[in-house]
Amino acid sequence: MRRWRASAAYRIAFVNFVAFALGLAILGAIVFAAMHVAFTRQLDGQVRDEAQTLADEYRTDGGAELQDSISQREAIRSPDRMLYAVFDQNGRRLYGSLNTSRPELGLHDISFRDPQEGRDSARGLAVDLSPTERLVVAADRDWIERIDRTVEVVFGLAFVAACIAGFAGAGVLGNYLRRRLQSISLAAEAIIGGNVRQRMPVSGRRDEFDELAMTLNRMLERIEGLLENLRQVSSDVAHDLRTPLARLRTRLEQGALDRPKGTAATTLIEDSLTQVDEVLSLFAAILRIAEVESGETRRYFAPVDVSELVTELAESYAPAIADEGRRLLWSIELGLTIEGDRELLAQAAANLIENAQFHTPADTLIRVTGTRVGECVCIQVTDNGSGVPESELGRITRRFARLDSSRQKRGYGLGLNLASAVAKLHGGRLLLKNAKPGFVAIIELPRLQASGERRPDRSSEG
Amino acid sequence: MRILLAEDDAETAEFIARGLGELGHNVVRADDGIEALHLLSTEEFDIAVLDRMLPTLDGLSVVHRIRAAEIDLPVLLLTALGRIEDRVSGLEAGADDYLVKPFAFSELAARINALARRKPFQAAPTKLESGGVVMDLLKRQVTRDGTVISLQPREFRILEELMREDGKVVTRTMLLERIWNYHFDPQTNIVETHISRLRSKLNEGGKPDLIETLRGVGYRVANHA
Repeated sequence: MRRWRASAAYRIAFVNFVAFALGLAILGAIVFAAMHVAFTRQLDGQVRDEAQTLADEYRTDGGAELQDSISQREAIRSPDRMLYAVFDQNGRRLYGSLNTSRPELGLHDISFRDPQEGRDSARGLAVDLSPTERLVVAADRDWIERIDRTVEVVFGLAFVAACIAGFAGAGVLGNYLRRRLQSISLAAEAIIGGNVRQRMPVSGRRDEFDELAMTLNRMLERIEGLLENLRQVSSDVAHDLRTPLARLRTRLEQGALDRPKGTAATTLIEDSLTQVDEVLSLFAAILRIAEVESGETRRYFAPVDVSELVTELAESYAPAIADEGRRLLWSIELGLTIEGDRELLAQAAANLIENAQFHTPADTLIRVTGTRVGECVCIQVTDNGSGVPESELGRITRRFARLDSSRQKRGYGLGLNLASAVAKLHGGRLLLKNAKPGFVAIIELPRLQASGERRPDRSSEG
Repeated sequence: MRILLAEDDAETAEFIARGLGELGHNVVRADDGIEALHLLSTEEFDIAVLDRMLPTLDGLSVVHRIRAAEIDLPVLLLTALGRIEDRVSGLEAGADDYLVKPFAFSELAARINALARRKPFQAAPTKLESGGVVMDLLKRQVTRDGTVISLQPREFRILEELMREDGKVVTRTMLLERIWNYHFDPQTNIVETHISRLRSKLNEGGKPDLIETLRGVGYRVANHA
């Protein structure tokens, strides 16, 4: 599965598991080897003792007594009995039942023929009793081999069990790591989605993940503070400029009221009033965008019938657009409802219509559609005008962005910026593209918003 | 009309008071919230115009308190803040209308007139009449000198607003708010276009113009009596 291979969490967990299994296998091999050597040494000790005893017997009592002693021992049918043989210098077996050829002096692994089991191997010690007689004492390795077999089986089973447990553990660990990381990633997604108040989840454990989350949260606090400052500054500038402008407007209005209508001075004052009003409406637009971008208005969200809203907008705009020599047609699906701010949505859609109206040649056909596309509601405004140069497409939603061709026309280049901000506020987006011919602007709004983006109501401040 | 004006900016207050005085209103000024609250709870006024940001007690709190004391005179809030949040909280507190500063004086005057007529226990009329135009609000039918005029729903609502105000000015912004519920300023002349269509339907056959345009101010039903 791609997801498993791509996951660092699982990779870490499984590498850990493989290292554990490897360690277990090496440990098993060492224990096995050590045990094997220890048992072999023990066997060698027994063989050596026995050979010593028999050699002593030979030395004190002579060969006949030794032969007796060997047949006595061979008569005992014990599983750990030993095997004996005495050879002459020609390699002929004189007595003893150990069926093998004459070995070299010293301790060896020897092979012999067992009357029941056939060929078998044993640890054998050869000592010379006299220049002509060589005694061989051998102990069957059977029991060591049996122990080896048992240890192998037991260890094998334990290894398989440990591997299953380790594999399952790695799975659990990987899943846990992935979940912890995913919760951080989800929180980050929510922040990208516009919910700047979202914070990384911190569990009560105070582990590394929590430390990371807390550090990220401190960073977010800092960023939010800076952003808030920036927003505050720009709002304050706009706001503080409004006050003197408002006063200026009052004076101009007063001046116009005090003078007779129609004089040059009055006309000048009236023109100035219009210009002050334009600046004021520009500030209002900047402040409105700042408000939308801050996400504050989300708390007034209520169900909005987008079908009704767009239909009303199209019906209201159609006569004015017709009067200016263009045509507006609309087709809107019924029952398009989303959670949102009715007025902001109306303003955003109105901006798209006005954009199509002000930046197209006469006789342009403007189409407004409202459709449901999957889990989204789309408000689309298409015109068959001249479109926008591809290189400018990315730029035109920016604040104060205006195409050179529209410099002389009305507007400040805030319309699409606001539409984009409103779409984002609703968890959606503004898509702009050339329709060839013409231009398409689409506000795409998800019908259900991620619950993470909603936040509890705060009491209103005065 | 006796109007309480609570506005801490002396120049603005002076201008408003003078303008309203010229229109024949009796304006009482308060310089801060406490004074406004005191005047409103001890004296009779027809309407209160309160700035939202006042020293000692802000306009919103004044509205809260007079509403809590069951003083139900119409309140118009003035504010330098144009945020959606401010408007919603102002209206939630019990203000009847909300005007963002700076405003044209004519806008304020028109809104004060409109608010003053919003009497609490007035029975809603079912028929409006002016200059030979009769609006039957139950049948949703308009006739002029007996001839039925077919109006589109929004045109009907605009005419209804103008007829209800009975010769008083209704501004473009008031129409945008009341008919469309838009609190923004469209760049397109949707109000003007609707008025012009409405006007041509009403005046068909060379009848005298029923709707008078006051340039830069608004519209009113012309009095041809």
